[in-house]
Amino acid sequence: MRLKEKIFVFALLGCLWTTSPLMAQEQYQDYFQVKAIPDTTQIRIGEAVKISVTAKVMIYALKGAQIKVVFPNLPDSLNHLEIVERTPLDTIGSDANQKVWKQTITLTSFDSGRWELPPMKFEVFSVTDGSYDSVFTDPIFIDVNTVAVDTTKAFKPIKPLRSVAWNILDYWPYLLAALVLAVLIVFYFVFWRKRKPQTPPAPPKPSKPPYQLAMEQLEQLGKDKPWNTDVKSYYTQLTDILRQYFEQQFHIAALEQTSAELLQNIKPVTILNQQRDKLQAILVVADLAKFAKMQPSPQEHEDCLQKAIAIVEWTKATAMPANNPADNSTNQ
Amino acid sequence: MENTSYDIRQLNEKIHQASAFVDLLNLEINKVIVGQKYMVERLMIGLLAQGHVLLEGVPGLAKTLSIKSLSSAINARFSRIQFTPDLLPADVVGTMIYNQQRNEFMVRKGPIFANFILADEINRAPAKVQSALLEAMQEKQVTIGDTTFKLEEPFLVLATQNPIEQEGTYTLPEAQVDRFMLKVVIGYPTKEEERHIIRQNLQPEGQAKVQPVVDPQEILHARKLVREVYMDEKIEKYIIDVVFATRNPDEYKLGKLKPLIAYGGSPRASINLALASKAYAFMKRRGYVIPEDVRSVCFDVMRHRVGLTYEAEAENVTSENILSEILNAVEVP
Repeated sequence: MRLKEKIFVFALLGCLWTTSPLMAQEQYQDYFQVKAIPDTTQIRIGEAVKISVTAKVMIYALKGAQIKVVFPNLPDSLNHLEIVERTPLDTIGSDANQKVWKQTITLTSFDSGRWELPPMKFEVFSVTDGSYDSVFTDPIFIDVNTVAVDTTKAFKPIKPLRSVAWNILDYWPYLLAALVLAVLIVFYFVFWRKRKPQTPPAPPKPSKPPYQLAMEQLEQLGKDKPWNTDVKSYYTQLTDILRQYFEQQFHIAALEQTSAELLQNIKPVTILNQQRDKLQAILVVADLAKFAKMQPSPQEHEDCLQKAIAIVEWTKATAMPANNPADNSTNQ
Repeated sequence: MENTSYDIRQLNEKIHQASAFVDLLNLEINKVIVGQKYMVERLMIGLLAQGHVLLEGVPGLAKTLSIKSLSSAINARFSRIQFTPDLLPADVVGTMIYNQQRNEFMVRKGPIFANFILADEINRAPAKVQSALLEAMQEKQVTIGDTTFKLEEPFLVLATQNPIEQEGTYTLPEAQVDRFMLKVVIGYPTKEEERHIIRQNLQPEGQAKVQPVVDPQEILHARKLVREVYMDEKIEKYIIDVVFATRNPDEYKLGKLKPLIAYGGSPRASINLALASKAYAFMKRRGYVIPEDVRSVCFDVMRHRVGLTYEAEAENVTSENILSEILNAVEVP
């Protein structure tokens, strides 16, 4: 090969070299530095090693290019070493000239021996032109030692539990809860209990005394003569008037009692019990008319009405005390 | 009095005649049963209204004797099934057995094939046996192998439960208890009744025998008449009010009962209350129902259909207490 040709080939190779990624790596390595420094390389089994991982980029070398740094993605367990903790990336130390990322990785090991933490791979990626590079840290060797046991000495029992001095600050959540509860209880007794219970409104007093009301209703029933159209309705009204009268005047829950129960329950009310036969006659006829579709004769309709008036009239003495109509509801 | 188009008087007379056997039956049963009139009356209601009866009472209150006597007085078949934890459905309804001579399977009918069944201590058997019996009660038929057998009418099941000794029992679920028309709680006899019981049991000639005084056909005829007993719409409304008060007590000014009731009576409760009221009216030889009839049977029809909350149980409130409150609050027509 002639000299000219050789020069041309070397020149061509030189051009290729300067434009190749290899050349780019060389360039990145100038301004991108990574370090992994352990706080110790000698531990006992289970003890922690803190490795401070730092990546530093010189801004002046970027010449306006934007880059991304990708930290190594270490598995939780590697080569007899366990990763206990990873701190978030920290940028303390960055300034106008350089960008710094820091992370502390805590490792431990439960196997004795000399273990290697392999070189960690950092990737730097240029957003501007799409080029990237990988930079590796130096490997770290950690000596994990066992605890030296002197087997010539006798075994000793396990140490008893150590008592810890009582500290009020240890119990502050409970004390706070108790305090809040006490305040609530005091609040309840001071404010809530003082509130007067809402008394239900008193039932409205009948506008008329029960006797007068019953007499008016019975008289109206006699005038209307509803038996001409609806016998069942007539006897229902008749017995309802009497039951309401008993309820208001003698406090017998007559509206909720059957005929037999009513006849039984008027026994203690002497004045009413004296009219028992009349009441029984009315209730028997009324029950037949109401529940058995029987139609009493017109004479029986009148007769029942007169008996009902007679019962109310008979109990008038109790129902209308001479001077004090307000006491009308007095029970027997 | 005159009658309307609906001939109640005629019906009343018909029922008055047809119900004459009730007194006869009572007389005959009273030969051997002292006291327990209430229980016998409830058994008759169940018999006439085609409903089964769940009896709750301590042992020795003549539950077995009552149903046995009723069965003898009606000339019907009686069988007793003692429910135990190892009982199987086949022990109740029957099974297929292999006949070596004929080289074929044959049906062996169980004790359920009778007119009157005493299911003693029903809560001692597991759920599958209980449901086998309850299904037969509901359907009035039993299937063994491929063959379905109709159960003979009248068919009345009297199941008993012991209120004490609840350990190792299988409590009947609400859905199955609901199938019993009546739940009757029976108590001890009075001192006078107990004296009679002692004398009757120790007399030298032995206990009196119950003679058949009624034919099963008469019971079936009476059942038809029970359904014809007139029930006025006012009584229907009263029944509905009572049942609805167990569901929505606050609508009847009984808001205080709301936290005590877990669930109220079902429509089956309304049906059974109406039917039992009719049967009670029939037994009182009336052709129409009055509010007294409803109130007389209300507790027995409703007590197992009102579910109590934990709050009620904690306060020792019973379903009877709740029903009393309801009956005292619902207006009688």
